[in-house]
Amino acid sequence: MDAKHDVLVVGAGCAGMRAAIEAFDVGADVAMISKIHPTRSHSGAAEGGINAALGNASEDDPEQHAYDTVKGSDYLGDQDAIEILCQEAPDDVYQLEHWGAVFSRTEDGRIAQRPFGAAGAPRTAYAADITGHVLVQVLYEQIVKRDILTYEEYFAWKLVVDDGRCQGVICWDLLNGGLKVIGAKTVILATGGAGRLYTGTTNAYACTGDGMALALRVGVPLKDMEMMQFHPTTLAPTGVLITEGCRGEGAYLLNAEGERFLERYAPNAMELASRDVISRAEQTEIDEGRGIDGNVLLDLRHLGAEKIIERLHGTRELAQTFAGVDPIYEPIPVRPGAHYHMGGVDTDVWGLTALEGLYSAGEAACVSVHGANRLGGNALMETITYGKRAGRHAAEWALSNTTVTVPEGIVSDADSELRELLARTEGERPWKIRDELARTMHENFGVFRREDQMQRQGEIVDRLRERFRSVVVEDKGMLFNSDLTQALELGFLLELAQCMVVCGLARKESRGAHARPHDYPDRDDENFLKHTLVTWHDGPQLDWKPVTMTKWQPQERTY
Amino acid sequence: MEAATQPREKTMKVKVKIWRYDSQTGERALKEYEIEAPEWVTLLDILDLIKDQQDGSLAYRKSCRMMICGSCGMRMDGAAVLACKTRMYDIVQAGHVPVISAMGNLPIVKDLVVDMDPFWEKFKAMKPWLQPGYEEPPEGKEYRVSQERMNVIHKEALCINCGCCVSECNAMESSPEFLGPQALAKGMRFVGDARDGATVERLEDYSTEHGIWECTRCYFCNERCPKGVDPRDAIAKLGAEAVNEGIDRDMGAKHAKWFIKSTETTGWLRETELVPKTQGVISAISQMKFAMGLAVKGKVPPPFPPHVAENVDEARGLHKLVQQQGRQGYEGIVQGERSLARLDHHLREDGEVPPSEGSVGGMGSLTSADITPGEEPTAGKAD
Repeated sequence: MDAKHDVLVVGAGCAGMRAAIEAFDVGADVAMISKIHPTRSHSGAAEGGINAALGNASEDDPEQHAYDTVKGSDYLGDQDAIEILCQEAPDDVYQLEHWGAVFSRTEDGRIAQRPFGAAGAPRTAYAADITGHVLVQVLYEQIVKRDILTYEEYFAWKLVVDDGRCQGVICWDLLNGGLKVIGAKTVILATGGAGRLYTGTTNAYACTGDGMALALRVGVPLKDMEMMQFHPTTLAPTGVLITEGCRGEGAYLLNAEGERFLERYAPNAMELASRDVISRAEQTEIDEGRGIDGNVLLDLRHLGAEKIIERLHGTRELAQTFAGVDPIYEPIPVRPGAHYHMGGVDTDVWGLTALEGLYSAGEAACVSVHGANRLGGNALMETITYGKRAGRHAAEWALSNTTVTVPEGIVSDADSELRELLARTEGERPWKIRDELARTMHENFGVFRREDQMQRQGEIVDRLRERFRSVVVEDKGMLFNSDLTQALELGFLLELAQCMVVCGLARKESRGAHARPHDYPDRDDENFLKHTLVTWHDGPQLDWKPVTMTKWQPQERTY
Repeated sequence: MEAATQPREKTMKVKVKIWRYDSQTGERALKEYEIEAPEWVTLLDILDLIKDQQDGSLAYRKSCRMMICGSCGMRMDGAAVLACKTRMYDIVQAGHVPVISAMGNLPIVKDLVVDMDPFWEKFKAMKPWLQPGYEEPPEGKEYRVSQERMNVIHKEALCINCGCCVSECNAMESSPEFLGPQALAKGMRFVGDARDGATVERLEDYSTEHGIWECTRCYFCNERCPKGVDPRDAIAKLGAEAVNEGIDRDMGAKHAKWFIKSTETTGWLRETELVPKTQGVISAISQMKFAMGLAVKGKVPPPFPPHVAENVDEARGLHKLVQQQGRQGYEGIVQGERSLARLDHHLREDGEVPPSEGSVGGMGSLTSADITPGEEPTAGKAD
């Protein structure tokens, strides 16, 4: 064992850093592992904002926030978890502000809030269009203040399980090379999403679902894995995110005929309907020939240069760099792109998984507050509130339990597995498998899903996994061997893809992000008002789990 | 890189040369690569294609590929860039073969990967966290701060810690201990924050030997920053604020103060007095011989009588105007910057200014004066 801590946080984005801060403040010896430096985390790419019923822009309260979230989730969200989120959100946001978060301001100097999709009030607190960046910075500042140890550029490869509980992580030191074993009384997985399963994704290269796969491999169930959100406004060709904040500020979505087509899909909420609704509307327009080169248009021109420069400065920069378009003068071509995994590691409301000592928070986890469709602005809020809760519970548990053992066999097995991989010289390099996986997931498990396509995708992933078994890592060196870590990441992604397909096939209804217009066009509460659960026993095994209801019964969902 | 496999895209042949390096063996070589790529690719996409298809051992950092994570800072033709922000099309069309290398001023680990530890040590040296101020936030809610007041640190808050400024910093090249542009910009992010209660302590800290005044004002950091943070401007704001707070022991501060005094009184720089005013009389005497040599060659004007510019009243008028506008400390610089930014953003190629609905506060107003927090824009203020 190279080191030992009370609490070890894997991943250092918003959820991971918030968890580490809380664990430290509770009094635990805490450290973080991150395969990239904390400020490089993909939380920083969140643009639009963070939802809390502060009531700064109009009357609002946590109950209204909770109702919007339940409805937005297409009733698949666990209502106890949602109520906790919405109740604790305002104080958690004030705390970020007290730490120094550079929020935009109202006329009277309070935190500014903008309207966001499917929200009954302007509830999204924001910092121009770089809210995630601002939060990552402020959390990292607090990490530095507390001098919390970070194992930077350590790649978490395996969880150590002994005596029925999680007791550490085996990692690869990316910068210098070599396996490192870090023991811990509790481990928190906060590794973010798996958007790299798709060709067109807003997600960073780092978003390879590591934490979900780590949990899966030690027998911990994943929940609602079929629920991948497609964001309605991403740039061709690679899926760079254009914030929902554009529509929050009043931007229009137009088809090739210049029509605000949402009139036909969400006549009341229009551009501020929920993301699943708008992505389907866009895809329908494109499929029916009313798109432009596979895109629709996001028109900001009527907002004026003033507002665009002040509040959507980063968006303008992205559109100029990646689409060659200045949104002050031209509409931005956009299309749906894979954005956010509502599913993830199944946890309770303290972030605890089915395995003692193992926690999860943020996008890696599924508490579930987002159900079948996440509302814009709720993800950052979840990272903070549930990061905090996981950090607290993990620290308290760790402080009352004392031993950490890492059996020698686990380490030597990992070591020989890695040697075998690095010694292999005959076989295929990973990138073609990776590209084929991402392309076919987009084709067969995208905005709309068909039984035959999902089945085919299952077979494709089986074959890709077979090919992956003899994959070759070309770089044999120790220094910054990203050729190795990218191969390990692909192994994670392939298993997660199989889980998604199994869950998608089993959910024979249309709910939130899981849309099956050709065979099961409607929501079926009688049979499917429940979570999919998947565990791994030589392959994905499906199970179900009831949705926790408190005060809201399912209703028809229109916007 | 996945989209490259789609057949119907227009492609082009891209050539780059990359400085390969291995810090374990010390091996170093400039290698040329040629690859077929879609026309839309960035430098980062090219590196991905090379790593996939030609050499899996090529090392570089990457993550978001959308200019926000700050991972992929590197040099192209000797100047720092974010690889994900650098489109290749024009470079290829010009027939140019760019040379890619690791960032400067940081030790190279492998190929394009540098050791960022010295960078983060300086970041941490700034005590980069908010130190609660004198005012408590009301009722457990947020601090009340106007947007105008927050705008003071707008640019500094954009920093993504990519290291491009540090890579190009001339002062760090000659004095590696210099805190450098990114750390000082981070410092300004707190000094300019109305909620921070440690302004004076910070300015004292940042004014020591390798702080604010060690900057050589070459402006390379402003030039290369991919996010428009303008670190040199941040350093200028710290300097102005330090002087404003009476923290002027450093020679750099004295030097700057003498410039102001000199231009106000004569309209010129009184060079003969500059050295004693900056370094002190005793230190200046030791340089007398050098100064006399300069005088003999006609490189410095005789000190007496002081040479006064013909229209010195204009210089004095400007000086007075700046004082009336309250352009003291960092707020003055921010005010000037915002006026320039407004011109920058709003002029179209054809020279026309697009219509605007008037000011909503902060940058970019066409229809109302750019107002520094709490100050009237121009004359008329009681002395």
